[in-house]
Amino acid sequence: MSETIVKVNHMTKKFGDLLVLNDVSFDVRRGEFLCIVGPTGCGKTTFLNCITKLYEPTSGEILINDKPVDLKQDNIAYIFQEYSTMSWLTVEQNVAFGLEIKKKPKDFIKKEVDEVLEMVGLTKYRDYYPSELSTSMLQRVVIARAFAVKPQLLLMDEPYGQLDVDLRFRLEDELLNLWRQTGTTVIFITHNIEEAVYLSQNILVLTNKPTTIKARLENTLPFPRNVTSPEFIKIRSEVTDLIKWW
Amino acid sequence: MTGRSLKGVGSYRKIGAAAISIAVFLLIWQLAVMFTDVGIVMVGPVEVIGRFFVSMVEPIGHDTIQMHILWSLSRVMTGFILGSVLGIVLGILMGWFRPMNALFRPLYEIIRPIPPIAWIPLSIVWFGIGEPSKYFIIFLAAFSAITMNAFAGVKAVDPELIGAARMLGANNRQVFTTIVLPSCVPHIFAGLQIAIGSSWATVVAAEMVRASQGVGWVIIRGQDSNSTVQIMVGIVAVGIVGFALAVLMRWIEARLCAWNVRGK
Repeated sequence: MSETIVKVNHMTKKFGDLLVLNDVSFDVRRGEFLCIVGPTGCGKTTFLNCITKLYEPTSGEILINDKPVDLKQDNIAYIFQEYSTMSWLTVEQNVAFGLEIKKKPKDFIKKEVDEVLEMVGLTKYRDYYPSELSTSMLQRVVIARAFAVKPQLLLMDEPYGQLDVDLRFRLEDELLNLWRQTGTTVIFITHNIEEAVYLSQNILVLTNKPTTIKARLENTLPFPRNVTSPEFIKIRSEVTDLIKWW
Repeated sequence: MTGRSLKGVGSYRKIGAAAISIAVFLLIWQLAVMFTDVGIVMVGPVEVIGRFFVSMVEPIGHDTIQMHILWSLSRVMTGFILGSVLGIVLGILMGWFRPMNALFRPLYEIIRPIPPIAWIPLSIVWFGIGEPSKYFIIFLAAFSAITMNAFAGVKAVDPELIGAARMLGANNRQVFTTIVLPSCVPHIFAGLQIAIGSSWATVVAAEMVRASQGVGWVIIRGQDSNSTVQIMVGIVAVGIVGFALAVLMRWIEARLCAWNVRGK
């Protein structure tokens, strides 16, 4: 199997006359944690939606495992900005949703769901409905649902953008643990530069519209990362400068 | 997380507040009838309630008040169930399938603002003065409310949920059955609440036109015989049954949609 899981070649997206993405090309390695940062409104979500074919790119190609994206075949999970839980399903049923859709055997689903609920610390809340959960629990349900299908590619669109700082820190650490345990490839969109430096192995910096790739930075800081260390601050400043100056 | 143990206390408080407001209303009504000129044109609640209980054993016309209520209920339920089934199906189809929307929405939007009672003369021409014309009028009342709510329910489905399901490999049929249908259930129940109320209001109007049983007939018969107390008995029956139906609908919704109620 190829080392490259995602290959984006000259992707362009227009909405009418508005050019949003302009000739974007990049690769993502298998098992990589890639963060995409850019100014607010630069088209980060459009970028992700094109990868997942929620939007059809105007031109260019996106390959997953060297083949055009096929949502039926490619095991992709997407975590949106909002906590998109199914309010009519319990925590357990929400987490099992993707496996049920894929028509996996019942005992397999039970085993996978138990495992992932344990990983995110929601085992004792399995029979609760989303309306009974706190914000952090809802976000964990969404993350658990994504990890339950053991995705080869996990796309996250500013998932912690609306959380307060301490909750965000906790969920970031949980995400890193899950990523290390599962080896899933993660593409994580954020406008929070500190978050990007804390989580990623590589950072893709986008320009304002029409969006192109300004730079790709490798982040070799060892885990766990210290946000106050000089090395961390240096990378954060580097990314900040790239976003500040056009 | 919310405190579930406080819910019971809240329910008792609500019931207590409702009982107090009804008791105060009845007291003011009774005092107004006893000590002001209101008594010339209206009977007091003591007399109305007394007569209501008497009419449970002494028939008004051929039937007791319970039988009149059952007659009206049977008409409401027939029209309501027919209107609900068709309205839910049409609303969901219009909301999810664009060609269905293009085909049926203009026609529905023309029919929707027409008050159901405006159809009474035509329904008599089409179906005669028997039961089918009443079913038809009630059907229209229920159909309008439910179709709009089912349609709005589908339109309100969170696109991120659809996106998440598609990402997890759901095909169109799975998105429809696992996301769209469950998502619009609360809207449908809201429509059923409105529809049961308007159906009940419409049956009274339909029975006022031509019937020999039912609470609408009791009211119009009271008017013909200049019996204010009989009119009030009919009105009280309408109020009590309408309230009971609304409570029943909420109870069914709470049982079927526990997820939409728990934790709120």
